[in-house]
Amino acid sequence: MTATTSSGAAPAVVPPEGSPPSAAAPTPRRTSRWRRAVPIAITYIVSVAVALALCALLVSITGGSASEVFSALIDGSLRSPGAWGLTVNTAAPLLCVAIGTIWAGKAGLSNIGQEGQVLLGAAGTAYLATRLEGPGFFVIVVSLAGGVVVGGLWALLAAVMKYTRNVPEVISTLLLYFIAIQMTDYALTKRWLLASLSTDSRVNNGQPIKSDARLPTFEIFGNSISVGAVIAVVLTALIAFALARTTTGFRLRMLGLNPRTARRAGVSAALVGGTALAVSGATAGLAGAIWLTGGVPGDRFTSNMSSNIGWQGLLVALLARQRALLAIPMAFVFAVLRTGSQFLSATGVDRRIADVVQAMLVLALLVPPAIQEIQRRRAKGEVVA
Amino acid sequence: MSDPLTGSGAAPVDGAAPRLVVGSLGSHRVAAVHLDGITKRYGRVVACDGVDLTLERGRVHGVLGENGAGKSTLMKILIGLVQPDAGSIAVHGAPKVIADPLAAADLGIAMVHQHYSLVEPLTVWENVILGERVRLDRAQACERVAAISARYGLGVDPLATVSRLTAGQRQRVEIIKCLRREPEIIVFDEPTSVLTPAESEQLFSVLRAVVVEEHRAVALVSHKLDEIIHATDEVTIMRGGRVVDRLATSAATASSLAQSMVGRPVSLRSEAAALGLIETVAEVASDEHAEAAVEAPVVLEVRGATVRDRDGRVLLDDLSIAVRRGEIVGLAGVEGNGQRALADVLSSLIPLDDGEVLVAGARVVTDRPGALGAAGVGVIPEDRHDSGCVLDLTVAENLVLADLRPVSKVGLLDRKAMEARATELMRAFEIQAASPHAMMRSLSGGNQQRVVLARELSANPRVLIAAQPTHGLDVGAIEYMTARLRAAAADGVAVLLISTELEEVLTLADRVCVIHRGRIVGEMSAQDADVERLGLLMGGAAA
Repeated sequence: MTATTSSGAAPAVVPPEGSPPSAAAPTPRRTSRWRRAVPIAITYIVSVAVALALCALLVSITGGSASEVFSALIDGSLRSPGAWGLTVNTAAPLLCVAIGTIWAGKAGLSNIGQEGQVLLGAAGTAYLATRLEGPGFFVIVVSLAGGVVVGGLWALLAAVMKYTRNVPEVISTLLLYFIAIQMTDYALTKRWLLASLSTDSRVNNGQPIKSDARLPTFEIFGNSISVGAVIAVVLTALIAFALARTTTGFRLRMLGLNPRTARRAGVSAALVGGTALAVSGATAGLAGAIWLTGGVPGDRFTSNMSSNIGWQGLLVALLARQRALLAIPMAFVFAVLRTGSQFLSATGVDRRIADVVQAMLVLALLVPPAIQEIQRRRAKGEVVA
Repeated sequence: MSDPLTGSGAAPVDGAAPRLVVGSLGSHRVAAVHLDGITKRYGRVVACDGVDLTLERGRVHGVLGENGAGKSTLMKILIGLVQPDAGSIAVHGAPKVIADPLAAADLGIAMVHQHYSLVEPLTVWENVILGERVRLDRAQACERVAAISARYGLGVDPLATVSRLTAGQRQRVEIIKCLRREPEIIVFDEPTSVLTPAESEQLFSVLRAVVVEEHRAVALVSHKLDEIIHATDEVTIMRGGRVVDRLATSAATASSLAQSMVGRPVSLRSEAAALGLIETVAEVASDEHAEAAVEAPVVLEVRGATVRDRDGRVLLDDLSIAVRRGEIVGLAGVEGNGQRALADVLSSLIPLDDGEVLVAGARVVTDRPGALGAAGVGVIPEDRHDSGCVLDLTVAENLVLADLRPVSKVGLLDRKAMEARATELMRAFEIQAASPHAMMRSLSGGNQQRVVLARELSANPRVLIAAQPTHGLDVGAIEYMTARLRAAAADGVAVLLISTELEEVLTLADRVCVIHRGRIVGEMSAQDADVERLGLLMGGAAA
């Protein structure tokens, strides 16, 4: 469990004889957590500063102006009118991917094929949304559900291989991505699948989704927010609650922490683990569905339209270090980088340089958790020895 | 004496005479190692507190103490794995700092560890030369292994693959690894824990050869009184990090040693058994309770159990065993003869390839997770970290993890109920933890074991499997555990005690079964049990 919950519910405990009085315990614990938080904050600041410095160097070497670049990053993601609405809408699918990854991660499973699950989820949604007739609300719900199911089934394939043939899910989920991308590209060449019905379409594009089948938006201070963001946040809250407070979540965590003890206690790895993998595929599928129906350019399915949502969602989960609620701010940070660097390339900086800047900043955010993890393992090793 | 480095090639002589020879060498003794005032603290715990120890050439020096008495720490300091906070070490009279095991090896100090560090898929000679930075010369290495093996009568084939060797043979490989560097000072750390009585005998005769023929200094670390009395010339007894006594072994008796080791007269039978004082065995069996159990219905029955591992090796071979209501059945055997597989089957961790398990007459499937637990089979596993608890969950969570029904409603965990239950069980089983929300990892081994015991017993099991339940516990904890097992049996639980400590089995059990290579090779009531015959059965000799 996270430290937050264990100290939050300050327990009224009768201390067993011989143990230190529990009244004294909370205070030192809290200060020690602050003491731990300070070096963590410092490592974040240092590593981001180093990355920014390297980016500035890179930009000036390639003939640009570093200050203009950073100002463009902020403009594109937060400052310019309507920008943060765009950022929130970008964060929503990232969060969906991340929260499913965390769910599977708690069960001790490493799903790394979200990119493919996102793509197929979007494809499933596109198929339904362009074909279903009926009231907009009905079409939206059914087509989103279709995306969830397709993403989940795709991950379930990996689960079946794992629990019947011992194929590691790290390998199978990743390889399934390559199959997914070929499948969707093929589907874009066939009218009876995903290809556009209009004859004048030059390239292989999907049929545009009618406006009443797209996710509704609402306005906050001139920013247009998609309902997808609300879905993502609610889903995250539900999963955080399930992990902390339900028997299902407890059994899932037990499986992840000690599979043999869990098995003895009646937790079936194939059932609980297989479901967890499917759930993580399903949330990735939902991410694809939200991405497609939440204002993607052209409002249609296109080749490789997942455009790194899956990979970046995986990184969000990594950065949140298995903490469900922490995934919300982390998804937002990633979305800032994403929208900001898109704007950057619009300001005339070479697109490839903009990509490098984005990747450097992502790396900077990944370094501190890695350092912490190394320290944690060292500490553990010393206790054992 | 002849130079030990040349090696005379003579096989060791019989065990009786050497002690006299050692005595006659007393006039020109040299202190091979002298530890002076060694102190080592871990936080507030003092592991060694001003310990002095002198090892002399040509003598076997016993270091006796309970688990946690500080003897392992002391030996780790001697071979450079741990640095002392205070005190000094002199090797052959010259003060030395032993910074790491390599430095110790350079000074001629070597250790045969309790847990072997062998690479199983490799052969014996490959294991022996592992870590040497010379050119690989197979013929020469084999020759050296064979020579050492012949010199000490070890009977080790240099070309054998380690994974196919028995525990005793593996230990001999470790001994060769240690002896090939011709160390002058050798530490044996709990060397008999995985050996049959006969293999232990053989080990001690090697030890004699090393000491008498070659004039080396040996330290034998043990918590078993009989082997200290049997194999050492003098003994240092440690308790709570201090040396409490030091005397010539000939002047000691088992009970006097036990008393200084524990710090009070040893009264409990189980305690005595744990220490290896087995004289008391004969009186044990006259329990009326044991006779009553003969009539009681069989609660746990394993019929024709067969399990193979992934490579097709047979772990359990048509094994059948039955435990009656209120009975304690002891399963004796040398480690690695299928005990672990049997416990795993009864924990629903591995399925049977053949055979069946019946609980209270009803067949229980072995390939469904948790099926045996649900049928009322409680398990105290041999390695609690492996399948007994989850270190990164709280104590409260660990206390309920086998059955969430009492602490949940419609799939939601009731935290208040969990906490109340944990508080109650912590009190009932005297579990020392800061709070029910303390992480399992933060508890001491004894308290973790109590958490497992509390969870398993509070589920009101029909059957309790206790695998090595006192392994690694101190005397107080052993006493507590054995009392709990007896109480459980008195309440009508069928108890299966799986143990490699023959003495523990003999004191606790009403009936003894012997397991060898995955089969039950002998069975007798505790009254009729005789140690010699059990020893033979454990070693695989026909009954």
